[in-house]
Amino acid sequence: MDENGTDGWNIVVCVKQVPDAADVSIDPDTGRLNRSDAEAVMNDPDYNSVEAALELREQVGGTVTALCMGPPNAEEVLAEAVAMGADDGVLMTDRAFGGSDTWPTSLALASGAAELDADVVLAGEETTDSSTGQVPPGIAAHNEWAQLTYVEELEPDPENDRLIARRDIEGGYERVAADLPVSVAMSYGENVPRTAGLHRKIYAETEFDPEEWSAEKLGIEDEVGLAVSPTQVGGMDTAEPVPREQETVDSADELADRIAEVL
Amino acid sequence: MAAVGEPDVDLDAHTDVWVFIEQHDGEVAAVSWELLGKGRDLADQKGEDLVALVLGEDLEESGIPDEAIDRGADRVLVADDPVFAPYRADAYGQQFRHLVEQRKPDIVLIGGTHTGRDFAGRVAVPTHAGLTADTTELEITPDQYEMRRPAFGGDALATIICPNHRPQMSTVRPGVFDEPSRGDGDGAIEQVEVVVEENDTKSEVLEREVGDVADITDAEVIVAGGMGVEGEFGPLERLAELLDAELAGTRDAVEAGWIDPARQVGQTGKTVRPKLYVAVGISGAIQHVEGMDDSETVIAINNDPNAPIFENADYGIVGDCDEVLPQLIEALERQEVAA
Ligand SMILES: Cc1cc2nc3c(=O)[nH]c(=O)nc-3n(C[C@H](O)[C@H](O)[C@H](O)COP(=O)(O)OP(=O)(O)OC[C@H]3O[C@@H](n4cnc5c(N)ncnc54)[C@H](O)[C@@H]3O)c2cc1C
Repeated sequence: MDENGTDGWNIVVCVKQVPDAADVSIDPDTGRLNRSDAEAVMNDPDYNSVEAALELREQVGGTVTALCMGPPNAEEVLAEAVAMGADDGVLMTDRAFGGSDTWPTSLALASGAAELDADVVLAGEETTDSSTGQVPPGIAAHNEWAQLTYVEELEPDPENDRLIARRDIEGGYERVAADLPVSVAMSYGENVPRTAGLHRKIYAETEFDPEEWSAEKLGIEDEVGLAVSPTQVGGMDTAEPVPREQETVDSADELADRIAEVL
Repeated sequence: MAAVGEPDVDLDAHTDVWVFIEQHDGEVAAVSWELLGKGRDLADQKGEDLVALVLGEDLEESGIPDEAIDRGADRVLVADDPVFAPYRADAYGQQFRHLVEQRKPDIVLIGGTHTGRDFAGRVAVPTHAGLTADTTELEITPDQYEMRRPAFGGDALATIICPNHRPQMSTVRPGVFDEPSRGDGDGAIEQVEVVVEENDTKSEVLEREVGDVADITDAEVIVAGGMGVEGEFGPLERLAELLDAELAGTRDAVEAGWIDPARQVGQTGKTVRPKLYVAVGISGAIQHVEGMDDSETVIAINNDPNAPIFENADYGIVGDCDEVLPQLIEALERQEVAA
């Protein structure tokens, strides 16, 4: 029993729709990103957090709800999480969210997780499009919850209302117990995400329809979006490729000579 | 009048450049000293103080506050209490936030380590500060303070500004700035009030295992292996021995368990700047190249002539590493004998 007097935990997993990293290119003339031809996919590290959420549910019972902030078509990534096994999904979609940096983004997700009465909110280590890694700690900070980042493995401790994690640290690891509710960032590639079962897949495609929440519904309409974002993108430059000789040699001997020249 | 969403921040009330000195068990993360060097530049340009922050237990004995002064800090703020050892996000975040609110720094630099990236948000969120993750360039222009960070796996460099909020915080990649040498400083050390109570913490460290951490960010020569090595790191070790090099690897090689995570090069690994980088069986994905692009000379061994690594290499050989490596080792051994 958790603090709500119900069996199991309310597990919320954040998923984001991103342009497929492999498809994003830079227009050499304008220096702008060509995102338009990139397919929209689920952020790769989020597969690890969905898997972790489902494993947690298997261990402690409860529900897994996928939560996404994004444009209306981002419901596709919620459907993907549902196909993998999430019970339900909520789409936070609103023009008011547009232009949010990590401060309002984590506020929105924190508010969504609180609205869902989450015991645990999971996210991927970072996103492939902006790779800040700031959102999971941001969720914890906005809600004044505990946090566990760079998580390799989770061990639930429901008797004590705690979640224990093995975390990756420089040069080793540590095991940390955090009080519920807690925000968790799973390390990328730490588990093997399951593939969607056929039944769930059909359900996700034909019947699943996520609830949609606006900023107003969460009472945060004045606290999100570009205007309240503390950071702004002041410009985007194409990273100049480092000039390299790009010379091909034919033999290991020649390679050894080159190495000798350099050292 | 402030526009919608613009906070009522008195920008001029915020002064000084702060650098977080990350230490665990008395060992300072190298990036902290690198940031102190960069922080000195920024503080000099602004004509303000460089302030170092150290949190932990038994800090005086560790000599870290003195070292911070010897490496350029004008002042060191020390929060010494058992509640800060070992590191915990909530305890560090709360103490750091208190100091920021009380003393109003303008610029805050934190190493882009797991520790730094773990708690930076716990300071930036409650203070409504601007936080830029994983920056690689910091610059004061006549108009503003600019933080640059790689975007889209390193294909682009985004300039981030923070016009209306303070402090302007960033986590900064290890290995991008030079460490200042230790001289004779004459700064002041100040013990600050500890505001964290053990009872209020929300987490507990049950176990902590740290081995001898390899620091590849300082290596002069690096021999790196990728999936093409197929788990056979023996020949790479031999090559590394001959070249007095550190071993490194791609993320995929780390995930395959062939090499230590501390030796991962790339976007989510380390940034390295050796004189020579030998890439063996590495495809050259942008996330990997981002971490090794500052190398002076890059040599690639790959059996696929179209592997992108060749575009990022000075000298390349198309061939199976099972054949090329033994030949290369032999050639180098011969040269050594000759020398
Ligand atoms: C968010 C995110 C962050 C990432 N961060 C990092 C990071 O920090 N660091 C990183 O490295 N990657 C990172 N990656 C992964 C990256 O995209 C690549 O998947 C990875 O770098 C590929 O590793 P590799 O070159 O070892 O393997 P592969 O791409 O599989 O390449 C193996 C290469 O070996 C060659 N080869 C095969 N057999 C032989 C042989 N017998 N002899 C010679 N050559 C051979 C092949 O031709 C191929 O070019 C990240 C990805 C994402 C999405």
